[in-house]
Amino acid sequence: MTSPLASARNRIAPLAASGDSPAAPFTLAPWRGGELPAFTLDDLTGATRHAAAFKGRTVLVHFFATWCEPCVPELASLQRLAHAARDEPLAIVAIDVGEVDLRVRAFFDKRPVDFPVLLDRDRSVAKAWNITSLPTTFVLDATLQPRLFVEGDLDWSRPDIVSAIAALYPKRTRTDVPASGRSTSPMTGGHNGPT
Amino acid sequence: MDRRDFLKSAAAVTVAAALPQAARADTTTFAPKPGAWRSFDLVTRVSIDNPQGTMQAWIPLPSVSETDWIRPGDSTWTGNAVKVARVRDPKYGAEMLHAIWADDEIDPTIEVTSRIATRDRAIDLTKPGTEAALSADARKLNLQGTDLIPVDGIVKETSDKIVAAANAKSDIEKARAIYEWVVENTVRTASTRGCGIGDVAAMLKSGNLGGKCADLNALYVGLARAGGLPARDVYGLRVAPSKFGYKSLGAGSSNVTKAQHCRAEVWLAGFGWVPVDPADVRKVMLEEPPTNLPLTDAKVAAARKTLFGAWEGNWIAYNTAHDVVLPGSQNTRIGFLMYPQAERAKLQLDSLDPDKFRYSISVKEVAA
Repeated sequence: MTSPLASARNRIAPLAASGDSPAAPFTLAPWRGGELPAFTLDDLTGATRHAAAFKGRTVLVHFFATWCEPCVPELASLQRLAHAARDEPLAIVAIDVGEVDLRVRAFFDKRPVDFPVLLDRDRSVAKAWNITSLPTTFVLDATLQPRLFVEGDLDWSRPDIVSAIAALYPKRTRTDVPASGRSTSPMTGGHNGPT
Repeated sequence: MDRRDFLKSAAAVTVAAALPQAARADTTTFAPKPGAWRSFDLVTRVSIDNPQGTMQAWIPLPSVSETDWIRPGDSTWTGNAVKVARVRDPKYGAEMLHAIWADDEIDPTIEVTSRIATRDRAIDLTKPGTEAALSADARKLNLQGTDLIPVDGIVKETSDKIVAAANAKSDIEKARAIYEWVVENTVRTASTRGCGIGDVAAMLKSGNLGGKCADLNALYVGLARAGGLPARDVYGLRVAPSKFGYKSLGAGSSNVTKAQHCRAEVWLAGFGWVPVDPADVRKVMLEEPPTNLPLTDAKVAAARKTLFGAWEGNWIAYNTAHDVVLPGSQNTRIGFLMYPQAERAKLQLDSLDPDKFRYSISVKEVAA
């Protein structure tokens, strides 16, 4: 049986350039593969994180590994997005695939980010989401329905990408706006190094 | 190198096949020949940093035994572990020493000394011998996918394209076509930690074919298996300098803590397990002075010609295992067992960071 991700890839995502022309950059594409399973994973501080806790915000779920070369600058661009969208209803969740905790902690000690980093130690979530290539990122709407995805690295601070994500933000009500101008959602808890 | 195009790569195979011919006029030689055996004592010392909680370690032991080129000898240990056992991975036969310390041990240490003998390998691929056929079980084991080396999907598609583009019909033609493709299309990335991960499908999917031996030779193994050729990674350690003057292909000193290197083998009827090491061709290109050598360089061409069918006996093999479950560990299985492994308070230590882990490996050549 063809997986939803595989069928979506076949229709949408170009994987390589042809001829001698430069490779086309990866881009966000509509996700047509249906629902993806919920996950529960530890973060770098040892706290357990449930996917359901992110409901109510647009959620960017980013699968990566520290050994993945394009992932390194991409994480930096995610941090730029996190900073730029700090007042928006956006949660960024990075999921490290198949690495030991200490290696991932050491990586983020040098490159701290403001979003949670979760540990898919046995690749079970990556397998459940049929991730076969890193980096791969999904953008879920506020009901946690996957809407966009990209299999490859993106500059998440690019204006067109920011706009595509912003289009998925839930409509705000007056009471959603925090008095300080900063989001108070518990979903924004980041990693500032090992505990 | 990013996102390469297959057709460009396949075309390069044809050109590349002629390159070793050009090197013959050069004085560069890289010609391992089975001769005298060399014996080495390998000393692996593990001393767990910041001891706390339950502490245990798994130290790989040389466990590949082949009459033509490698003979593991005895392993002995000293240290303060309360329990030490020699254990064997049930699927691949990879052996390791499993040490467990008391929770209150303030300096958990073990030192393992392994004797091993090895020598050069070189197979004359023009003269098939009478090598016994691979057993059905071994054939099945060495054709199947692993966690990081699937043999279907993009790996199978790529393998089929390589074989078709090279018009390879026989197994040896297929094995060589895949070797040439890996040499042509991959790149050694100096910044890759350790020997790499070996996530073959991710490499092909992303088009980023950079990495080190555990990446590039795993790619060879995956493409070969997907093409119906039994193949295996052989995880080991460089233990001596190259006698052919290739600084990049040998151990630089007796401290071999970071000298891990995995090679590959492909099974060819009439020849048995044939040594293959496209990753080392890319290493020669990157590292041999003046560095960043082209494929046309004589030293590269000589290595490329030799490393399909031969390798130098300045390296020892630990095992050929994938997806190894560490007995007694609650952590996930590891992709391969080439580095010492350890846990502290159930937390898996980073085997790619020997200074924080801590472990060291030294080697000494001894009289056989």
